[in-house]
Amino acid sequence: MSAVQSVTPLRSRSRLAAIREAAPHPTLWRHVVGYMLAVYRREWQGSVFSAFIHPLVVLAGLGIGLGVLVGDKAAAITGGVSYVAYIAPALMVSSAMELAASESAWPILARVAWVRIYHAIVATPLNAADVMVGAIAFIVGKVTFAAAFFACVLLLTGIASSPSGAIGMVGVSLLTAFAFGAPMVAFSVTQKSDQGFAFIFRLIITPLAFFSGTYFPIQNLPFAAQILSWCTPLAHGVALSRSFALGTPLTFGWLHVGALLLWGIGGTIAAIYLFRKRMLK
Amino acid sequence: MTNSAVEPTALIRARGLTKAFGARTAVAGIDFDVRDGEFFGFLGPNGAGKTTTMRMIAGVSPRTSGTLEIFGKDPDLHGSEIRGQIGVVHQQETLDMELSVRENLLVFGRFFGMDRASIATRADELLELFQLSDRAKDQVEPLSGGMKRRLSIARSLIATPRILMLDEPTTGLDPQARHLLWDALQRLKRGGTTIVLTTHYMDEAEQLCDRLVVMDQAKIVAEGSPRQLIAEHASREVLELRFPNGTESIDAKVLEGIGDRYERLAERVIVGCENGEAAHARALEHGLNPESWLVRRSSLEDVFLRLTGRTLDE
Repeated sequence: MSAVQSVTPLRSRSRLAAIREAAPHPTLWRHVVGYMLAVYRREWQGSVFSAFIHPLVVLAGLGIGLGVLVGDKAAAITGGVSYVAYIAPALMVSSAMELAASESAWPILARVAWVRIYHAIVATPLNAADVMVGAIAFIVGKVTFAAAFFACVLLLTGIASSPSGAIGMVGVSLLTAFAFGAPMVAFSVTQKSDQGFAFIFRLIITPLAFFSGTYFPIQNLPFAAQILSWCTPLAHGVALSRSFALGTPLTFGWLHVGALLLWGIGGTIAAIYLFRKRMLK
Repeated sequence: MTNSAVEPTALIRARGLTKAFGARTAVAGIDFDVRDGEFFGFLGPNGAGKTTTMRMIAGVSPRTSGTLEIFGKDPDLHGSEIRGQIGVVHQQETLDMELSVRENLLVFGRFFGMDRASIATRADELLELFQLSDRAKDQVEPLSGGMKRRLSIARSLIATPRILMLDEPTTGLDPQARHLLWDALQRLKRGGTTIVLTTHYMDEAEQLCDRLVVMDQAKIVAEGSPRQLIAEHASREVLELRFPNGTESIDAKVLEGIGDRYERLAERVIVGCENGEAAHARALEHGLNPESWLVRRSSLEDVFLRLTGRTLDE
């Protein structure tokens, strides 16, 4: 270590030190997760509906209700499985998207602009990158927990039959939460009020829930819309999740994983950059 | 470690410290030292550059130029390590409103890498010290402003920092809460904590600070103990004459004749002099007819007025 330093020129050494200052610490960021968990222990009742109950209500309403209406026609697009079994894995990831997006919106903005506790945290040994990494990790963890609950319900009701497939679906929900949570955090840390969130949810999140292969195959969309759909993370999550649920092999499985990771990692880097810009003036 | 033999090292050392935001210079090349164990103040009006200076010291605002060393280290390169030994109290509260009073402390201790057992012990100590023990389990939101401020200070002390930094700590507090806070800070100082604060209240600076710098328009305009500053830049007594109808019409020659020096404000004339009563008598002899008048000892307010020609709350 010291031998390396002694031959490194002073200027690049301090540049290295500056980069080390800005990068997330290997372990310190977990205390941000600890903080968020402490808050969650106090107010978890408030998010029970949106995290656990809401997805089941949608599944019951659309899967069973709409399923009856679709009836035998469903088999043509579902490849033989019931409509509820067709949309359940997709609904799981679109719920993961919605929960990740809302968890990355108000709670983040509040800590940046309203109660401002992030200002206090960056004045401790933690840095801006630790705060972002910790916040995103918590959001991903929370969404994954909700997805695991959903998967258990699917297994218990027999809508999903394979436990290993269910585990795969939960993993896909994790990646989807990362792919949406991180860019959304990056957006939230630039905001002064919550007005911008209405745009995101109305113009991006809600349409995506419909046009990403959730309720009908993407191939039924016009070609341009198909391209657009594949540029967003949810379509990849839906494709992966359904493949795990129905046991149908995917041609480009790793590409879908890569797309989700790209969104997540890109979002995290953007979040760190934008949060630093806001906090470290 | 750092404060070994040769000469007493400053905990904070700034030379030519500068911060620019685009074309606006918030801090324009200031020099100062903060020594171990002292109570050091930045006194000045809003916008003088005090908060920006504090942020640079706390390692959350990279400087534009100049040198800055805290514990002998550069905050741009060793920020995390430095921040681990500094407690920061922001001007606006930054507490978590959903957590309880005690939880706010527990969570914060983890950020400094403390283990849970020592955080719990320290938290209870601090709650006791800041008279918050009976509210430990309560949520933060309904607490009074004074209590929230005391909790913020308690939280900043969780890891027993070497330096405590407070940005305008008593702004918005009622007089009783202010005095409670001043007592707490003086106890801390006696316990060996180095304290740096910013304020635009001259009485606060005068009461608390061993040494202070007066800042105005991004620069330091004076430095010393409150007593030194008053002796150097102000006369022994001050005569204040009030003219509710304005002071523009008063002849400068008349004002010059009353005391050693004078400052003309919108509705007041402040006369620096050896003997206020005698100066008042001279003012009447010169035909001035103030609505009211008072004589007092010189304060830091007069120092600031003398140095900048303006009052602190302008």
